[in-house]
Amino acid sequence: MSVVLNINGLSKSYGKVKALNNLSLQINQGEVFGILGPNGSGKTTTLGILLSVLNADSGSFSWNGKEPSKYDRKKIGALLETPNFYPYLSARQNLAIVCKIKAVSESEVDRVLSTVDLLARANSKFKTFSLGMKQRLAIASALLGNPEVLVLDEPTNGLDPQGIAEIRGIILELAAAGKTIIMASHILDEVEKVCTHVAVLKLGNLLTTGPIESVLNNQEQVFIVAENLDLLKLTLSQIDGVSNIVQKETKVSVMLAEGKTSAYLNKALFDKGIVASEIGIQKSDLEANFLELIK
Amino acid sequence: MLKLLQIEYKKLFPYTTFWVIFGLFFVFTPIVFYGAGQIKIDGFPIDFATMYNFPDVWNNITYIGSWFNLLIGMLLVILVCNEFAFKTFRQHVIDGNSKSDFIISKILLMTSFSLISTTYLFLLGLVFGFSTGGGDFLVDIKYLLVYFIQALGYMSVGLIIAVLIRSAALSIITFICSILAESILRLLIPDGIDQYFPMKIISNLTPIPTPKGFMVAEMKNSVLPEIMTLNTTLITAVIYVFVFWGISYFILTKKDIK
Repeated sequence: MSVVLNINGLSKSYGKVKALNNLSLQINQGEVFGILGPNGSGKTTTLGILLSVLNADSGSFSWNGKEPSKYDRKKIGALLETPNFYPYLSARQNLAIVCKIKAVSESEVDRVLSTVDLLARANSKFKTFSLGMKQRLAIASALLGNPEVLVLDEPTNGLDPQGIAEIRGIILELAAAGKTIIMASHILDEVEKVCTHVAVLKLGNLLTTGPIESVLNNQEQVFIVAENLDLLKLTLSQIDGVSNIVQKETKVSVMLAEGKTSAYLNKALFDKGIVASEIGIQKSDLEANFLELIK
Repeated sequence: MLKLLQIEYKKLFPYTTFWVIFGLFFVFTPIVFYGAGQIKIDGFPIDFATMYNFPDVWNNITYIGSWFNLLIGMLLVILVCNEFAFKTFRQHVIDGNSKSDFIISKILLMTSFSLISTTYLFLLGLVFGFSTGGGDFLVDIKYLLVYFIQALGYMSVGLIIAVLIRSAALSIITFICSILAESILRLLIPDGIDQYFPMKIISNLTPIPTPKGFMVAEMKNSVLPEIMTLNTTLITAVIYVFVFWGISYFILTKKDIK
């Protein structure tokens, strides 16, 4: 697996405010890498530096092992903050300009417009577009030339629920096609649904990074309801492969080791004389984990 | 390079302001020039219609055209400020242009504007000159080159103001005020130095035509400060143009694109 992006000790200050503090990251080919953090955590600053619109105070980065250059940026599809187009030009005219810059054939325009469902409005001026349509046009623009790497800053910003689902669908398709996607977001749900890897930023500092399951502790939990909760807890603690036994109101939740299923747990309890009146699986509470992390 | 210019014109062709300003230039230059030749003042010894003749036509038409150079300077201010207002400068860098590509694009654009307006004045001059008696049209044709540099000069001032200020409305006000402010400032500066101020130099490129036989003798003996030769003015103007480009380049490449 080759390294697509290597970030080495990037720092950036705006006056006295330290927007980014010694950030180092590595992103490999085929990863859907989420940069997660609350507002003002340095997500956009990071992407701005990676796309050469901001100058870092110190540190360095490389795309595909090379010094950053405009020729590499032509091969990256990027959406940074707001969609930026000429208001008096149509969607098609705007994308034709991007095609020229990226040295991509203008025949690409219709393909990307239909991907984001804007083909019917191709000849409408950008200024007549709604916020959601502008956002979709920006995503279409990022798809021009079918780039191997996409950088998306809050891609579902301003979209309605249907639009959000569509854009997520597009991102998942791209990921399935082996593209490397770097995505900044403050929406945990979004990151969880599409990302394979994540870095969590807070006030410019990297809190943690790694595969999403390990960072957000995204393991399945099994909850059990039985008549005698104290006896249940005691019994559970004697079963092999069960950990994190926590009572939550009227039920007990546990985590199972790899390879152990809820059926295994049910049988083990039954063998020890406990009948579960309810047994089920739920994802761990991501939001709680995340809030704990950035506290 | 050619690709950058193509991109510029892709943005321009559907842009109404571009057509309005060049339309005004194309329509009003011949009308104003024709009108100026029809002026008759009672008791005034000069027939203004001689201004259409070669070689005077070159000095005269470039002087009339120079007022439109100010307008084209403003167009450039608007176009550069648009790139900041629409954040398209930032987007172009994200998409794979460099910051210097931006300056190169604008330099190519202003050079093409200057070429268009100079060519137009050349054609107008030929029409007026040949329709009023003809003659050797190559004499004094250097006024066209001077006009070309003047157009570049005003647009280069526009470029640096737009790069510094970024807002179109404020930049245009600054562009106009810089002419006024400079004339006031020049009053405070000793003669000799004051004629090297940029706006003065650029506007002096198309000197006010002096009708033949009128006041020339008086002017030569008058107390007016020594007037710079056109060649010195031209060279100084070219230096200013390069300095403005250089400063604009420096500002844009060093700063973050917000």
